[in-house]
Amino acid sequence: MSVFRHLFVAALSLAATLAALSVSAQQVDAPIQRLLQDHGEVIAKSSRRTIGPAIDALAASGLDEAQTVLERWRDKEMWLNEETGLFVYAEEIDRRTIRTFDFATGEALGEFEDKAYKQLKPNSGIRGLINAALVRFQLTDPNPAARRAALNAIERDADETHLAALRAVVEAEDNPNIAARMARLERLLTIQFDKDEAQRIAAIESFSGDLSVEVRAALNPLVVTKLDVDTTVPEDADVVRTLTPGSEALSVDAAYGLLVSRELAVERISRDAQKAALIANIDGDRVGGIQVASLDTEASRDLAYAELVRLGAVEPAATDAEVSEVLEQFVFFERYSAVPPEIALAAQAVLTGIENKVAVNQTIDLGLDALSLASIYFLAAIGLAITFGVMGVINMAHGEFIMMGAYTGYVVQLFVPDYTLSILLAIPLAFIVTFGAGVAMERLVIRWLYHRPLETLLATFGISIALQQLAKNIFGTQARPLTAPGWLDGSLVFNDIVSISYIRIAIFVLALLFLALFLIVMNRTRLGLEVRAVTQNPRMAASMGINPDRINMLTFGFGSGIAGIAGVAIGLYAKVTSEMGSDYIVQSFMTVVVGGVGNIWGTLLGATMVGTLQKGIEWLNPSNTLAAQTYMILFIILFIQFRPKGIIALKGRAAEA
Amino acid sequence: MTDTTLAPARQPIVKRYPVVLVFLGCLALFTLGITVLSEGFGIGVISTSFIKTLGKTLCLCLVALAMDLVWGYCGILSLGHMAFFGIGGYAIGMWLMYARTEIIVVQSLAAAPLPPTAQEISDGIATQIFGVVGASEFPPIWAFAHSLPLQLAAVVLVPGLLALVFGWLAFRSRVTGVYLSILTQAMTLALALYLFQNDSGLRGNNGLSGLQNLPGLGHVPQSTVSIWFFWASALALGLGFVLCTWVVSGKFGSVIRAIRDDESRVRFLGYPVEAYKLFVFTLTAVIAAIAGALYYPQAGIINPAEIAPIASIYLAVWVAIGGRGRLYGAVIGAAFVSLLSTYFTGGQAPDINLGFYTIQWVNWWTVLLGLSFVVVTLFAPKGLGGLFDLIAARTSPNRHGADLGPDVGALREKEAEK
Repeated sequence: MSVFRHLFVAALSLAATLAALSVSAQQVDAPIQRLLQDHGEVIAKSSRRTIGPAIDALAASGLDEAQTVLERWRDKEMWLNEETGLFVYAEEIDRRTIRTFDFATGEALGEFEDKAYKQLKPNSGIRGLINAALVRFQLTDPNPAARRAALNAIERDADETHLAALRAVVEAEDNPNIAARMARLERLLTIQFDKDEAQRIAAIESFSGDLSVEVRAALNPLVVTKLDVDTTVPEDADVVRTLTPGSEALSVDAAYGLLVSRELAVERISRDAQKAALIANIDGDRVGGIQVASLDTEASRDLAYAELVRLGAVEPAATDAEVSEVLEQFVFFERYSAVPPEIALAAQAVLTGIENKVAVNQTIDLGLDALSLASIYFLAAIGLAITFGVMGVINMAHGEFIMMGAYTGYVVQLFVPDYTLSILLAIPLAFIVTFGAGVAMERLVIRWLYHRPLETLLATFGISIALQQLAKNIFGTQARPLTAPGWLDGSLVFNDIVSISYIRIAIFVLALLFLALFLIVMNRTRLGLEVRAVTQNPRMAASMGINPDRINMLTFGFGSGIAGIAGVAIGLYAKVTSEMGSDYIVQSFMTVVVGGVGNIWGTLLGATMVGTLQKGIEWLNPSNTLAAQTYMILFIILFIQFRPKGIIALKGRAAEA
Repeated sequence: MTDTTLAPARQPIVKRYPVVLVFLGCLALFTLGITVLSEGFGIGVISTSFIKTLGKTLCLCLVALAMDLVWGYCGILSLGHMAFFGIGGYAIGMWLMYARTEIIVVQSLAAAPLPPTAQEISDGIATQIFGVVGASEFPPIWAFAHSLPLQLAAVVLVPGLLALVFGWLAFRSRVTGVYLSILTQAMTLALALYLFQNDSGLRGNNGLSGLQNLPGLGHVPQSTVSIWFFWASALALGLGFVLCTWVVSGKFGSVIRAIRDDESRVRFLGYPVEAYKLFVFTLTAVIAAIAGALYYPQAGIINPAEIAPIASIYLAVWVAIGGRGRLYGAVIGAAFVSLLSTYFTGGQAPDINLGFYTIQWVNWWTVLLGLSFVVVTLFAPKGLGGLFDLIAARTSPNRHGADLGPDVGALREKEAEK
């Protein structure tokens, strides 16, 4: 039964549609069409000056179709039927024919020749007005995403009309997040576009202490200054500061150029122009009566030019003496040029406050950077703190163990595509690989060279060179990626200035873990006890039943293994290359030496100091990280002068061991 | 009477050290032979580029000599002597580049209708030299570049002063052994990193180039110039060898060897250990710089990579392979290893096909060098120079097993012979 009823309804509605098509009736008295008719003349005329009320009426009509009308109009798709005076929108089928649609229903009205229709082509001024009106529609769109998109559009490219649009909707917004954004944007636009000074100043002051970039971007244009010149400094409120020509802020050339452009002084001639003028006036072998061959000093050229001026051959030009004389007669000052001084002063006050706060936050950010660099140095140095600090074996191939660890991580990622899993696998594998390499190196090379530190240094250098080249032969010279798992992407953002990437946090945590591991192994385990015994007095330890050979081997392996894990961590943050180890080796030794050999807390302090120092110097000279490293090394060389044993120097028997 | 027994009459150095005569003789014969075979002055069997390689090798032998003096005799494993070598090269390179560019600029400006002013010439040179790093003004360190005598003085004075200050700072705070090595390496790294910057005033990583063209001697062919430099290098090496032998021969030599073997004992005996070390460190830095000043005009280009710490490590490698604690050992080591390196890395050495893998020497030479270095340290601490002991042992009296090398006792040749 119900099936029949459905069919019946469907048939009826089909019939109704067919009927509508067959008559192709346009709803002449639809509200939107009536509105268009009301302003028909103005719309058809399309003049920037008179169109305002029409657009406003459309925007304020509250009709759903108004948005369509505005969009089609803007896109030059609105046509006027010149016979009936009705508005439609249409798409062109070919050069002559158009298919028209009714605004009220959105239904096709049929295909017609375009002779009877006039296409409305709003100029760019009108399109701007339409756009602004459209933003208001989007701002009141029921879909929050559309409202956010509208706010984004305004943020990207704001103009005056948006301010009114925003003000109209900000009260009615019910989504609290969007409402807050709207209110903030409204204040930002007030700063830029409001005509009322008091409102602008209030808006400016409402942002005091705000760190975001947009606020600074909105305020900075307000405090733009312009260079001006006069005989005395005027008492006006908008004078920012006076400048002396020849100072850093105002060069003599710029100051004099301003005077010339105000026609307060004679133009000065450049050396090149002077030369050109002299060449143009060569007469035989003389210029202005002076031999050409003698014109090889600036003084003689000035003389020749002065002579030419006297003869009237060239325009007079100011000499250096005249320039400074003229400059002394004037004072140069800057005045606010963009906005009235009250607003500029308010903006300047707020900006100064913001800049102070920015400086504080930048210091915090720098501190975080330094901390993360310090933890990288600590990671790189902690293995060295064991082999060099505890055992006294200098291992120049330590950096290559770091590299081996990183390449292990890279190889694991070739086989295990899941990044989280591969990193979890790579860490123990890197430990095993470098532990093995360390043990092999101790057995084959280092144990023959105990108590001959210089020879150990040389032999391990040899190994370092060989390992580096070997890695180059196997993996090539280009950098290999070691990709961090997705959950380490991105960064922890505190505000627009202070942020730290999750990888750096992970490295920091890893460094702390290593510190704990080192302390536990050294102070709480049998191995640690034996290691300390063997380092302090190998013979006594041996007589107590400890096998020093075995302990040395294990300690060296442990130190090398930690270097391998550090390699995985460093590889995540930097690129994996065959030279990555040598990038860290000098800094690592510095860290250990600065901190004080044989003490893990010293290494920690050393890493903190080296990291902070490097970031600090980089901050002083941001364009140049090479210089930062240079100065840091020089500083460390000097530091060792004053504390040759490092920050934490061992005392008593431990120092002699 | 007693005088003669306590202090025997001092004999000339060549008599006490016949090896000097042998060395100078070999060097003279070698120089003569190469000259006869050269393109510039002889029958043209040896190409100019190989003459340059040989000349450069002689310079490397000279710097190895300095390294042996400071390390093999005084026990300071300096990883910074190639930095002094490089500074010497930069000092002479500045003049070479300035003077040559000046000639070019003056020539090009001579065609202009007005004679150039001094300022225009200077600007022209600066633009030519520093255009590549985006600057057009002379940095202050180029203040003396126009003058050959002043730059020659800089070759000696700049590395000398640097070594003096650095050595004074390091030795007075008793930085010794591996700590000193690491510190010198850090100094080298700092210098290299500094020179890598574009605003260091020495053209950043472009370095100085075109040094093979001697200003004002454009008409002399390179084949002749190369022989001149070859002679100069041989002369410098000969003089350096005599100087080093003289330094290590007398009482001074005994003291520095004593410092090498037990520093605190020497200090206890009342010798100013720091002054001795400082003297040797500075002297060898100057020798290294002179070697560099002769090397880079033959190489034609110098850039900061040449100063990187690895270069100084290779220097230690040469000396260790040649044999520390004997001057001719350093020369042999430097010549042997650097020529072999040139052969293997130059692509001339035939590849070895293992069936499953082809060993290309360009890639594997460094591995071999590194490993052979380990082998030499472990099994042949006397290096190649030790081979001469095998020959000498047949003719010279029994030394009762006493060695002459470092770390095994401070015996001098004469002491060992008793």
